[in-house]
Amino acid sequence: MISLKGVTREFGTNVAVDSLDLEIPRGELFAFLGPNGAGKTTTIKMMVGLLRPTKGSIFIGGYDVTTQFRACAQLIGYVPDQPFLYEKLSGLEFLQFVAEIRGMSREQADRAIAEQTERFGLSGFLKDLMETYSHGMRQRMVFAAALLHDPPVLIVDEPMVGLDPRSTRLVKDLLRQRADRGGCIFMSIHTLSIAEEIADRIGIIHRGKLVFLGTLEQLRRELAAAESSLEALFLQLTMEEEAALAGSANAAQSGPKGHP
Amino acid sequence: MHANEQALSVTAIDVAEPRAVFEGIEKLLTPEGEAKAFWRLRWWSMRTVIRQTLVRTGFQLSIVVFLSSILWVGLFFLFADGFLFLKNTVPADLHMDVIEVMYGVFFVTLMVMLAFSTGIILYGSLFRAPDVAWMLTLPVRPERVFLFKYQEAVALSSWAFLLLGSPMLLAFGVVEESPWFYFVMMPLFLIFFTHIPGALGGIICLGLVYRLARRPKVALMIGVGALLAAIFGMVWLFKDALAQQTLAPEWFQQIFSRLQFTQHRLLPSWWLSGGLLEAGLGNGQESLMFLCLIAANALFFRQLAVWTAAAIFRGAYARSQARSGPTRRVRTSWLDKTLWSLSGFLPGQVRILLLKDFRLFRRDPVQWTQFLIFFGLLLLYFLNIRRFTYETYYQGWVNMVSLLNLTVVALLLATFTTRFIFPMISLEGRNFWILGLLPVRRETILWSKFLFASLGALLPCCGLILLSDGMLGVSPGIIASHQLTCVSLCLGLSGLAVGLGATIPSFREQSPAKIAAGFGGTLNLILSTVLIVILLVLGALPTHLLLGSWTPGGSSLVELHPQLGPFIRSWWLLGQLATPVVGLAFAGIPLSTGIYAFRRIEF
Repeated sequence: MISLKGVTREFGTNVAVDSLDLEIPRGELFAFLGPNGAGKTTTIKMMVGLLRPTKGSIFIGGYDVTTQFRACAQLIGYVPDQPFLYEKLSGLEFLQFVAEIRGMSREQADRAIAEQTERFGLSGFLKDLMETYSHGMRQRMVFAAALLHDPPVLIVDEPMVGLDPRSTRLVKDLLRQRADRGGCIFMSIHTLSIAEEIADRIGIIHRGKLVFLGTLEQLRRELAAAESSLEALFLQLTMEEEAALAGSANAAQSGPKGHP
Repeated sequence: MHANEQALSVTAIDVAEPRAVFEGIEKLLTPEGEAKAFWRLRWWSMRTVIRQTLVRTGFQLSIVVFLSSILWVGLFFLFADGFLFLKNTVPADLHMDVIEVMYGVFFVTLMVMLAFSTGIILYGSLFRAPDVAWMLTLPVRPERVFLFKYQEAVALSSWAFLLLGSPMLLAFGVVEESPWFYFVMMPLFLIFFTHIPGALGGIICLGLVYRLARRPKVALMIGVGALLAAIFGMVWLFKDALAQQTLAPEWFQQIFSRLQFTQHRLLPSWWLSGGLLEAGLGNGQESLMFLCLIAANALFFRQLAVWTAAAIFRGAYARSQARSGPTRRVRTSWLDKTLWSLSGFLPGQVRILLLKDFRLFRRDPVQWTQFLIFFGLLLLYFLNIRRFTYETYYQGWVNMVSLLNLTVVALLLATFTTRFIFPMISLEGRNFWILGLLPVRRETILWSKFLFASLGALLPCCGLILLSDGMLGVSPGIIASHQLTCVSLCLGLSGLAVGLGATIPSFREQSPAKIAAGFGGTLNLILSTVLIVILLVLGALPTHLLLGSWTPGGSSLVELHPQLGPFIRSWWLLGQLATPVVGLAFAGIPLSTGIYAFRRIEF
């Protein structure tokens, strides 16, 4: 459903994402992990069409993101890490606009708005201006807007930021249910315990390179740590990568000076 | 198929997996459907903004409407008087030529300014606004997003043009006793015309970002090159005319011949001025032809901008987000070291806060470039002031110009304190977890900002006034009085901006421009204007009446009218004593209320 083929993104001399190959089928909840600045948000921005790959291609449902963006956008529900809401619109007006842009009929829109706002506990605030919403309400509104057209692909960047424990539970259940019903979920997240709890597969990106791709069990096997938590495995893997990179850098530096 | 729906046709691609059939794909909107949705979005937003403005800031709105009306009426009478003067003094066969040249220059300048301002506004709203990043993730055409922002940019860049241009055009119609259709066609001419430079500005903006977003150095070189070309163009335009004696017939001829390019038949500004003049003189058919010409070109250029956006906006946006460069490392500048050394006499905490504000100022190009441009232009003007030899015609001009120069510097300073000093406390509120947790008394923060503003104002303002007075050769008495007024103004305007900024802060707003344009900023600007008027009337005006020369022999007003002597001398004496008192009062009262309010603010 989501397919990244040799995707590279360069910013000047800095390679933010390096030859990333990834296939995420229907019915999978994929957790994308990595330290700060590893290339997670850059990858997501390329998937939703805000950045273009320097090399490689991205397909959503078989459509090329670069050349057939509108078709891709219609398949995607996107929850960004820093969500935007029109402060001067009410929640209802915002959702009606999103529904209209998604081509939904009035009846479909009314039904979907009622369903999503009920699910996210926003029904009582629909006529309030969004400038009065708390951070958590804004986050829930963004989820409601992203799910309005029941997209087959959901891309979420740090979905739990600002959510209270109840909303966090709600979102976790929702993501899991959508994947179980055949949806494709791409989730970038820092909270490793949540990834451990709900993800089918994990990808770990470090300095633009995908350093691990597989299930949690595969990661444990690879690092020979049977009972370790994802947090311990993540730290072990990224530190090993750091050490390997530092070692090669030292070797490169010492080489010309004639040291062994 | 539903009216708003269309099937998506896609070309064959090397797909990773067979294309799935999704119900949503069939629902993509037609261009008309997108337009409808975006217009509804605009209507909803505007309705809320208008309602909130009327309810929350009715007082501010009334002041803005009142002051704008005064400005508009004043301009109308000024232009009407000017057109009447031309009609009565310039021979009938020449006076329309003069107006034609005047219109030509006005509309050419306007066209260039509209293209620039629309382009600059569009750059900010298309490539820096968070809502565009969100819109571009929706299944909408990129040209629709561009059009949504383009409409805003054209409205924002042309409202000042309509405010300033409409009284001139109405005055022309009234003075020339134009037929009814002139007044009907006038707004149509203006509305269609704004789209030509607006669309060109949009196309240039998109093209520059698309081509140069990854090459900021090339963009900078092009910008500097364009600026130099404009300067050389201006020098070429007026160099011969400046060699002539100002206002002499040869000077007029030189100026007229050099401005002939504004009458070029291919310039849209000429179509506008030609059409308006024809309509004003009652030539309905000719003016209708010009109106159709402008409307057709406006639609063409707008469509060209839409096509350009369809082709390159998404790519330009991606490139604009991908700019990078070497990490900017900052070091302690010699400017910081100089300020640190010079402020050695101040308490340590004030020095640290002063240095922090100075660093924020010098690292923010928006602030220092505006400061440099406006004060730099004044510097150039004052350095060249002797080129205008008006004393040949009117002896009192030195007196008048030196007083006007003081007024200009004061008004410019009031704009700067409102725009940059007033929002400082509001902006500090967002970072108050830093200052609030430091062992610094809150009043120390305000005093440091007052010192920062006062020192920043005193040096350029007093220096400029000294230069202006020196170039004009005014008497030492006037120079001393101007310096006293200037110091009082700098202290008063700085204290007012810092004090009011702390008394009525706006912590919700993050943009300094919006804070300055809010109620507090408007009030600060009005009170600053009041202070300027009081200090000029108290200190500067009686000095000019008493010490300035008003005749070729150098006689003052008191010498010409001895009966006024006692009154003007008393006015002068009281004024010089009251000037520093008023300046300090305007600084002290807002500062003390600001300190009182700032101590009680909860963050």
